[in-house]
Amino acid sequence: MAPMEVDRADGRTSNQLRPLSCTRNVLHRAHGSARWSQGDTIVLAAVFGPKAGTKKEENPEKASIEVIWKPKTGLIGKVEKEYEMILKRTLQSVCLLTIHPNTTTSVIVQVVGDDGALLPCAINASCAALADAGIPLKYLAVAICCGLTGSRSVILDPTKIEEKKILAFAYLVFPNSPISVLPKGSLTEDSEPIEAGIITSVTHGAMPVVDYFNCLDRGYAACAKISEFLRRSMESQAPSDLTKTT
Amino acid sequence: MPIMEHKSMAWRMSVNERKFIETALASDLRVDGRRPFDYRRLNIKFGREDGCSEVQLGETHVMAYVTSELVQPYRDRPNEGILAIFTDFSPMADPSFEAGRPGESAIELGRVIDRGLRESRAVDMESLCVVAGKLVWSIQVDLHIIDNGGNLVDAANVAALAALLTFQRPECTVGGDNGQDIIIHDPKVVEPLPLVIHHLPISVTFAFYNKGDIMVIDPTHKEESVMGGKMTATINSNGDVCAIQKAGGEGVMPSVVMQCIRIASVKAADITSKLKNAVEVYNTERALRKVKRHPSKMAHQVSVADITLEDKQVKDLPRHQAKMACQPYIGSSQDDEPKVDTRTSTNADGNSSGTHADAFVGGPSKWDPYPLRVGTSQVLGTLTVVKEEQVVSDDHRAVECSLDHTTTSSSGTVSVSDAMQKSNTSKSLKDAVKCLLEFFLPVTMDFWMTSVATEYWHFAVVKVIVLCAIRCLCQWLPSKLMKAL
Repeated sequence: MAPMEVDRADGRTSNQLRPLSCTRNVLHRAHGSARWSQGDTIVLAAVFGPKAGTKKEENPEKASIEVIWKPKTGLIGKVEKEYEMILKRTLQSVCLLTIHPNTTTSVIVQVVGDDGALLPCAINASCAALADAGIPLKYLAVAICCGLTGSRSVILDPTKIEEKKILAFAYLVFPNSPISVLPKGSLTEDSEPIEAGIITSVTHGAMPVVDYFNCLDRGYAACAKISEFLRRSMESQAPSDLTKTT
Repeated sequence: MPIMEHKSMAWRMSVNERKFIETALASDLRVDGRRPFDYRRLNIKFGREDGCSEVQLGETHVMAYVTSELVQPYRDRPNEGILAIFTDFSPMADPSFEAGRPGESAIELGRVIDRGLRESRAVDMESLCVVAGKLVWSIQVDLHIIDNGGNLVDAANVAALAALLTFQRPECTVGGDNGQDIIIHDPKVVEPLPLVIHHLPISVTFAFYNKGDIMVIDPTHKEESVMGGKMTATINSNGDVCAIQKAGGEGVMPSVVMQCIRIASVKAADITSKLKNAVEVYNTERALRKVKRHPSKMAHQVSVADITLEDKQVKDLPRHQAKMACQPYIGSSQDDEPKVDTRTSTNADGNSSGTHADAFVGGPSKWDPYPLRVGTSQVLGTLTVVKEEQVVSDDHRAVECSLDHTTTSSSGTVSVSDAMQKSNTSKSLKDAVKCLLEFFLPVTMDFWMTSVATEYWHFAVVKVIVLCAIRCLCQWLPSKLMKAL
């Protein structure tokens, strides 16, 4: 089943991502901040480090994460609440929650531009902001959006116009691929590499099972590339001043 | 279960910092090194869409978005549109800002900006009416405070103005079968319309210390937490006071208030010019983006002008070479450059005539003007290369190449003004006249050639007049400046 080459409006191939850009430490008051852009989708994320106390329904034995999603215009509605919930659960699995029990870390996400793949962009920005704030993390989460066109081929990182036309799409979040000194193959468990575990998968629209697995494979490969980019951008930016004014 | 103790963990300034700031202000010193009436650096950026602006005033960062929709008007104002301002003090700006309902300071900020824009009639409401009593445009301005570095009112005001100035609403007409349908035209099909803005109200904030004796402009976050009182004056560049907000705080003498307003009008003029420049740049960039949709049209005009230039220059060659020898300080004589330019651009194209361009760079003696006739297609192909090379090089090249491009007369003037700086300071009046004549003669000949050879003669006339004027200016001004100094 050879996938057909799809004609995309901006001239990309089905495997090409939009130009990525990541800037950290963009805000002065926040403990950590990052601005992540994929083409015209731009998200600004800010993190305020552990504050004492947790909310009523949260477990005081662990740290809790609070997410506030701010849309570009208009009031907060159900869509924003859903994004907040998905982002919170994703970040909870990324952070080391037992290090600072009974604290709350706030992550605030502001949408600056929306041109498709908004939630993956927000997840990437939040992870970069958490790293900028110095919150202890297990690994970084890398997110991608895979779309399934009518001709059963998978396109990566669709724009808003493309999202409306395709059959179904899935937001996939994988852990950052590690640089390992151990020989390849020693980290596998039941012939599945440990680092291929999906953290989050949100689908919209109905797609056949086989195509969903196709999306997973493509998404995993693309996330390897994105995590390379993320690693390079974190290493290249000089370590920011450790003392930040509150 | 323990509840979050946000209120008690609110940031408080230490006694040392407070004393330091107050003592420094007593000797006219500010913590960041500014003088009492200096603004921080203002940076205005625009997004890709219309009506999207990002303003940074020092550490304060504000984003503004403008959207429009058709709604029913208010009953008591059936002919006017609606302007609504939403302020969002995002929790990312300050740890003490909380999500949810806007607090007092958010509402106060929204009201001050609203008074400046709507009640002073800065934005024209009546032009937003579509069908009186039934449908009007409602303009909504969303202000997001991203980073609180102090003086949010001023930054938010500039952001709102910048977004409103660059916003364009879609054109809509009343029509349809029964004459009652409203048709909203797609912005890509019909040009959208900008808003009518009569004047720009700029807000200037003062902070008072030491029982009203000391005042500073544009307080930072730390200065704000130490201040005794605050006053915001919204003034436009005509000197009209649009709004004054002084809500509580220390009492100040009326004379101090008058002085503040006077200072505010000076600062408002300054900020207005910065805002207008930024909007200009954005508008030209937007226009260029639209023009690039029709590259074939531009290329056609280029090809015609280029070919005729060459025809004329065959005759002028010996005269030009002689001029070049006796006027070394000009750099090179006017009309040699464009031919060279054509040569170098075809060189970039990889043609055989390239070798001759290399030869010219060495000096006039090695220059061989017409080894090959340049075909129309080759010139078409070098359109973009020609454009790039102009801006970098000498005034003449830029001037002549603006002959080729009808759209880039503005870039022509920019490069000419660059040349002004480059040109030698030791020009005398006689030389200026000589240069003028030198320029005028070939240009008129060029004009005749273009008019004879092509049907675009009317373009050529306009171009010639404009360029003569520019050339006169740039020749005369430096000599006058030198005399004045």
